[in-house]
Amino acid sequence: MSDVKKSGFDVKKLLTNSRIIVLIFLVAFLSLVTGGKFFTYGNFVNILYSISLTGIMICGATFAVLLGGIDRTVSGNAAVCGAMAATVVLAFGQTTGGAIAGLFAGLACGIVSGFFHGLVLSRFAIPAFLLTLATNEVLYGIVQFITGNQLINVMRCDFMNWIGENRLLGIPIPVYILAVCFVICYIVLNHTVYGRYVYATGGNRQAADLSGVPTRRVIVIAYTISGFMGALSGFVMSCMNKQASAAQAMGYENDVLAAIVIGGVSMRGGSGSLQGAMLGAVLIGVITNGLQLLGVPSIYHNLVKGVIIIVAIAWDMLSAARKSGTATNPFAGLFKSKKKVTA
Amino acid sequence: MAEKDLLFEMREIEKVFAHVHALDHVNFNVRRGEVHALLGENGAGKSTLIKILTGVYPKDGGQIFMDGKEVEISSRESAAALGIACIFQELSLVPTLSVYQNVMLGKEIAKFGIVNAKQERKQIQDLIDHYGFPVGANDIVETLSVAQMQMVEILKALATDAKLIIMDEPTASLSSRESELLYKIIHQLRERDVSIIYISHRLEEVFNLSDRITILRDGKNAGLVEKEHIVPSEIIKMMIGKEVSEATASRELKTSDAEPVLTVKHLTRLGAYNDVSFEVKRGEVVVLTGLVGSGRTEIVRTVYGADPYDSGEILIEGKPYQPKISRSVATGFGLIPEDRRTQGFSPLLSVTGNVAVTNYDKLSKSGFVNKANENTLGHEAVRLVDLRPPNPDVQVGNLSGGNQQKAVLGKWLTRDLKIMLIDEPTVGIDIGAKDEIYEIIERLSADGVAVLMVSSDIAEVLRVAHRILVMRGGKITKEFNNGVATQEDILMASSGFAAEEGKEADA
Repeated sequence: MSDVKKSGFDVKKLLTNSRIIVLIFLVAFLSLVTGGKFFTYGNFVNILYSISLTGIMICGATFAVLLGGIDRTVSGNAAVCGAMAATVVLAFGQTTGGAIAGLFAGLACGIVSGFFHGLVLSRFAIPAFLLTLATNEVLYGIVQFITGNQLINVMRCDFMNWIGENRLLGIPIPVYILAVCFVICYIVLNHTVYGRYVYATGGNRQAADLSGVPTRRVIVIAYTISGFMGALSGFVMSCMNKQASAAQAMGYENDVLAAIVIGGVSMRGGSGSLQGAMLGAVLIGVITNGLQLLGVPSIYHNLVKGVIIIVAIAWDMLSAARKSGTATNPFAGLFKSKKKVTA
Repeated sequence: MAEKDLLFEMREIEKVFAHVHALDHVNFNVRRGEVHALLGENGAGKSTLIKILTGVYPKDGGQIFMDGKEVEISSRESAAALGIACIFQELSLVPTLSVYQNVMLGKEIAKFGIVNAKQERKQIQDLIDHYGFPVGANDIVETLSVAQMQMVEILKALATDAKLIIMDEPTASLSSRESELLYKIIHQLRERDVSIIYISHRLEEVFNLSDRITILRDGKNAGLVEKEHIVPSEIIKMMIGKEVSEATASRELKTSDAEPVLTVKHLTRLGAYNDVSFEVKRGEVVVLTGLVGSGRTEIVRTVYGADPYDSGEILIEGKPYQPKISRSVATGFGLIPEDRRTQGFSPLLSVTGNVAVTNYDKLSKSGFVNKANENTLGHEAVRLVDLRPPNPDVQVGNLSGGNQQKAVLGKWLTRDLKIMLIDEPTVGIDIGAKDEIYEIIERLSADGVAVLMVSSDIAEVLRVAHRILVMRGGKITKEFNNGVATQEDILMASSGFAAEEGKEADA
């Protein structure tokens, strides 16, 4: 009966996805106006490289958003991990063994932080936004403590330089790391029981509870994954920058959340996909890249990005409203003059 | 046709959605000071008609008259300006504000932006006193009961001089005592010449309250009945277009002699229920009935492992059982929770997604989901509950109430069940789907599943029960296990009039 659908690749569905259309349109537009500079293999690799750090964070933070929560500590975890790793690397004289020890120490920080958040959020009815807003400050406080508010240089660590600078088959290592994270998280969300439980818990926690889903464990694991991914991203960032700073990754949590939301993951939980979230990141990456290629001064980048994000979300909401048919047009009456002609 | 006391009239109303006639030349009118019920199964066109008359949808044809003059209702505002107000199922009050602040919201009495609270309060208190509502102008809305909140909604309508108030399932979330209060208020409104359009799935209350009943079926008028001519079976026939059995007025009960599956001994949870003992045998349908708040739901939740208990014992097939949800699911329990929307399903997930949640023990191998089996299960569940549309990929939130409940049932039907716990399965569900759900319960019982059900709907109790336990104030006060039980018997027992064994009513 439903053999047709089993191919798993639905072109029609893909073309009704407004984000794909926007992306195709953007790519076509930029290819035309940049005179061939945009549409090259090398530039596409650049775009992927530019989103690799936020992309790794998105792989984790999407779990939290799918649960109807949010994880603003991805940046704090990245900073703690970077600082922790760099400190350990220095202690070992920037050897490869030290780098690996630093990597594990940093990731352990992220896991502990994520586990803590999961534990609190699964047991207390605290809004995740508030908790992670506060704890992100705490995390940056810890970073300042570790670094003494100084830059920690790890320029002579070969292992970290290899990650930060090297390419394999022309593609930078961070892109490979992003790809691995994405594939693993994609499989977890789409092919494992745990992934199903994430959607069920985010969609209706009470119903999931009564169906025998261990929702507390589901939440703890999700935030632990998010903490791990934030930390991993922080380590890669330190490799790319050859240093760890007290303000490392600050503000990244907003980019991560923007990409997830643009990617169509519902903030109320239970709906959306990791592919979508990653597509959101690609969209932002393409826009930034296009602005650079077009020679738009960087002081305008945030402005243009913000406006495009607003347009994308507005379009999405309008088409969703039109699809359901019943929602009232949010723009109705906005442009009508208030004056009324009275007879 | 040209009745003099006609307040409101809709003539030959048409509405087309994507080439489907949702309303096909529907006529509907309301007299001054009458309660006019609108009956029909889900999808008959009731809500479309209401949305047209409150200005949510534009009509595609026909005319609307108010006080004999033709009017256009193009928006909620224009409906309100004509004196039409709607009390929706979901209340639209600001919980943290007081009653008078809610009522005056958007029409504050103010000078230069400064509110005259004293005058507002007095005005609303006068209105409350005039109609005799049991609320105070200063009460904070979130401290009120649901019934009182509805009264605030009604006050909001009255404060705008509404002449026509639409009540959409107003008693759906009320206890019987609260419902009584609402009926009283409806009578008072009617005496003061306010007209009411009443929509409800509870047929008895519709028959008792209404002056007239308009019946819709498939978007067409199926009948208009005056109070004197109300014959329940006739009206039900008009609604569904076929005969239903009248066998729900009483029921022949019998005690099964199969072995007990669930045994509850002296179970107590302070403040909820006290020293409750009963058993449910293989293939038996035992119904816990009584008023809302008598402890029925809490017992079911305790047995399932969702709520704790203080003392007592629970046995499954004779062996002591420590309730815990995951253990219950693994042991062969199923649960249809009290409120399907908040506890039963995930609205954004597909039918398959919802149904599979309880079945991953069989659908997965070392943590990985077998998608082919998952899809097969979705189709199987759709077939077992006869879901409409028969598509396992629809989001459950987009289904009708009856089909949502069938999807919740689908979670369990593919499992090897021992005990099915069912809590108020048909609240807000149309008659056709109700019958199908009863048939599913009967099928479960025939397969040897022990069914423990909670229900306040007496017709429903008599339709499915093998044995009936009546609860009052946290105790089982009466058991019907043999012979014939009638609606009256059960009503008497649950309201506490049947103190025949010399017991004083101690509540």
